[in-house]
Amino acid sequence: MHESDPYEPSSKGYLLLISLVVGLFCLILLRLWHLQVLQGREYAKEAEQNLLRERSIFALRGLIRDRDGEILAGNRPAYALALVREDCRDIQATLTRISDWTDITFQKLEERYNSRKSRVKPFKPLILIPSLTFSELSHIETRLMNWPGLQIITRPQRHHPLAPVFSHLLGYVAQPTLQELRDNPSLQLGDTIGKRSLERALDRKLRGNKGKKILEVDAQGRVLKERIVAESEPGRTFRLTIDADLQRHIWREMGDKSGAVVVMRPNSGDVLAMVSKPGYNGNAFVEGISEQKWQDLLNNPRDPLRNRVIQGTYPPGSVFKLVIASSALLRETIPIDKELHCPGYYRLGNRVFRCWKKGGHGDIAFQEAIKQSCDVYFYKLGEKLGIDAISDYARSNGFHQKTGIILPNEHSGVIPGREWKLRNIGRSWQGGDTLNTAIGQGFTLVTPLQISRYVAALVNGGHLLKPNLLTESEPSQQGRLPLSGESINFLLESMRVTVEEPHGTAWRLRTQNATIGGKTGTAQVIKLKEEQRGADTETIPYRFRDHAWMASYGIRGKQKYVVVALVEHGGHGSSAAGPVVKSVYDYLFP
Amino acid sequence: MPFLDRRILAHFNWSLLLLLLLLAGVGILNLYSAGTLRQDQGVTTAFYYQKQLYWLAIGFLAILFIIPFDYRHLKAVVWPLYGLTLFLLVYVLGYGTAISGATRWIDLGVASFQPTELAKVSVILLCAALLARMPGPLSWKDLGKILILVAVPVAFIMAQPDLGSGLNILMLAGGMLLFKGINRRILFTFLVGIPVLAPITWFFLLDYQKQRILTFLHPQRDPLDAGYNTIQSKIAIGSGQIWGKGFLEGTQSQLRFLPAKHTDFVFSVFGEEWGFVGCAILLSLFCFFLYQLVVVAGTSKDSFGAYIASGVFFYFFWQIVINLGMVLGLMPIVGIPLPFFSYGGSSTLINCILLGLVFNISMRRYIFTRE
Repeated sequence: MHESDPYEPSSKGYLLLISLVVGLFCLILLRLWHLQVLQGREYAKEAEQNLLRERSIFALRGLIRDRDGEILAGNRPAYALALVREDCRDIQATLTRISDWTDITFQKLEERYNSRKSRVKPFKPLILIPSLTFSELSHIETRLMNWPGLQIITRPQRHHPLAPVFSHLLGYVAQPTLQELRDNPSLQLGDTIGKRSLERALDRKLRGNKGKKILEVDAQGRVLKERIVAESEPGRTFRLTIDADLQRHIWREMGDKSGAVVVMRPNSGDVLAMVSKPGYNGNAFVEGISEQKWQDLLNNPRDPLRNRVIQGTYPPGSVFKLVIASSALLRETIPIDKELHCPGYYRLGNRVFRCWKKGGHGDIAFQEAIKQSCDVYFYKLGEKLGIDAISDYARSNGFHQKTGIILPNEHSGVIPGREWKLRNIGRSWQGGDTLNTAIGQGFTLVTPLQISRYVAALVNGGHLLKPNLLTESEPSQQGRLPLSGESINFLLESMRVTVEEPHGTAWRLRTQNATIGGKTGTAQVIKLKEEQRGADTETIPYRFRDHAWMASYGIRGKQKYVVVALVEHGGHGSSAAGPVVKSVYDYLFP
Repeated sequence: MPFLDRRILAHFNWSLLLLLLLLAGVGILNLYSAGTLRQDQGVTTAFYYQKQLYWLAIGFLAILFIIPFDYRHLKAVVWPLYGLTLFLLVYVLGYGTAISGATRWIDLGVASFQPTELAKVSVILLCAALLARMPGPLSWKDLGKILILVAVPVAFIMAQPDLGSGLNILMLAGGMLLFKGINRRILFTFLVGIPVLAPITWFFLLDYQKQRILTFLHPQRDPLDAGYNTIQSKIAIGSGQIWGKGFLEGTQSQLRFLPAKHTDFVFSVFGEEWGFVGCAILLSLFCFFLYQLVVVAGTSKDSFGAYIASGVFFYFFWQIVINLGMVLGLMPIVGIPLPFFSYGGSSTLINCILLGLVFNISMRRYIFTRE
């Protein structure tokens, strides 16, 4: 048995418990009275209206204008049809009805609905059709009230009014991928982000910051009141150094040729025009490009997605003689007035390297060799310089490296060397490789922008400037040509006589009242058989035709320009690329 | 003495049983309603109420199992039970199964077990046994001893982290101390000291816990996330008005505006559907229920039983206060369930076990008078 425990309940403790129970009862009852009786009606109203929902206020994507203010990338309203699941009484029926209203099949709508529903939060709109046409819009708008859960969302949509002329410059915006959505919490389904070129490079600044508003909606999802919690901040507007008229002019002049044209101000690095053909329509990506169209773009043999100005790498051909000549002047490899003999070919070991001129140039001096683009002179020069000197000079003066322009995915090109060939080709450097390099053939690859920058450096007195696309950027010097003023003048003068004197290869560029200098180039696509060499361009299949280069500068008073053109499979530099460049000077020096 | 003689059965606390059955019954009905959702297509009902029924059945079996043994035998096991509790709490921190970020469960294969629930029983029993031996009102030394013994398991529980249960245990122990009576000067020191020290605990709270307190202070601070629960709950309850919208008619809960509506916010469903009248009746039931526990504490014939009953009283009292306070927007959001209403197997079982102890004490209140 347990011991007796005479226990007197503490009256204070007992009282404490009783008063706690009474206190609890009173407090909670009062609160219930307050909520349910005094404020009950207001809460009932709020409940009926089913309350608060959060919506984003879209930030207007920043504009991109040309140097004179013309809008290159703007926004226009787009009307999206969206569905709020929780408000929708019968999803199947609603989708069927939408399919009646539009050309989209029920299966397609259901597929969209199912694939997107897990990515949209409860009570948030799920976008079924990103952009309605005006006739669809007016048709649907009048019937919307009978279909709870459906709503039309007006959003600003990116629009490039001058596509495809600016396609490679502007790029495009599109819906973010799942990965991008995950990495960037401020993005949501239905947003767009810059995917290519400037739209991508400037994306964060163009995008701005979304705002937030709270909607009070009723049981059918109809908006009763809205309160803005955070205003959206529109994205920044950017002004480009580009001259839209000039860009359009070049686009027209290029016709249906594939290629690239760059116009640059040599003293600032400002790019006035940057054309790459063919282009594409950047607006097609905004609402999601169809698989078929995307495949067409990817498989198009002319590769419209490639921005040839920065991503096209070509053998520079004779344009490279400017670089070889610079290197020779720097090292004083040869006195400039010393003549070398060109019999039309050069023999190295048991191999014969030909000059483009069958009979040869005879005895020829430095400037004349540039003007007439004598290959044999440059074979000899290249052999004297040696590959190490050539590749050292080219690599430290802007080649084999990106120019650093703001556009993404720039290619760096190739300046070969002994080590490079061993690593990439797997064979050791041969004497013949040096000769090919000396006339810009062989392994050497450059982009049109690299050539522009080099010519710009010659014109501005030796400053290697970063090519610039934004008016707000200051000129940025990345290096200096190690040449004396005398040497630079010699090269510029050589380019001038190439245009202005008889037998100059760039004679097509002659323009009144302006000093024009130029250098042509023909980049071999494949080694043509002997009998095909010198044949008419038209008789060779398109894809085997040589690429045509024209690198040039034009000066009138204080106006200075560098114009570089590359025409893919155009044949000879002068005849294919010349007229385009000439038309640019006609535009610039009216 | 036989385990169950007729006199003991005659003194069975039928009113407490009746209240328990009423509360549990209404709770199940309410869970049925809380499980009803308007989904993509049509209305579906979740099976919470069924599972809750199973657990109640197990709970009643536990009560039947507890009643025959004289509760005074438990004095002998309070220390081993306390030790086992500590061991399991440490074990669960190291090897427990994590569910939604907190490690509280020991997986037993067929069912999971929360040592936290065991801690509630063992702390009540240990405090009751100690208090019964101590002369009241409590001195600094006795008070300190009990507080340390309570603080150790509470610290482990909060580390899981389970703020709600930790607070519950701490507060029920505090209630038992008050019931026992504390030296007036000490009580005064606490009344002054706690408001001063409370801000310091801020630095020990986890981010989400701070967030909840901040949100309680300014519910509009974040109306769609943390403050959302409180606002939605108030709207649901308030919109019930005087007579309520009727069983299964609560639009707020069916449309999924209400968060955690089968667990911590289950009362909102009830408030919306049954209105002020229903809530007042339910509140009365809870208070009668608590009053029955007070009566047992006040009429127990030994102090051990009285303290156990007071501990059980505070266990339920704080849960009801904190849960209703939170649901009605009077307190910050702390994860504490409403007894017999919130869905939860372990807590339903522990509620029954504790009530089994109270039945046990209540039945034996006259056995000493004969001797």
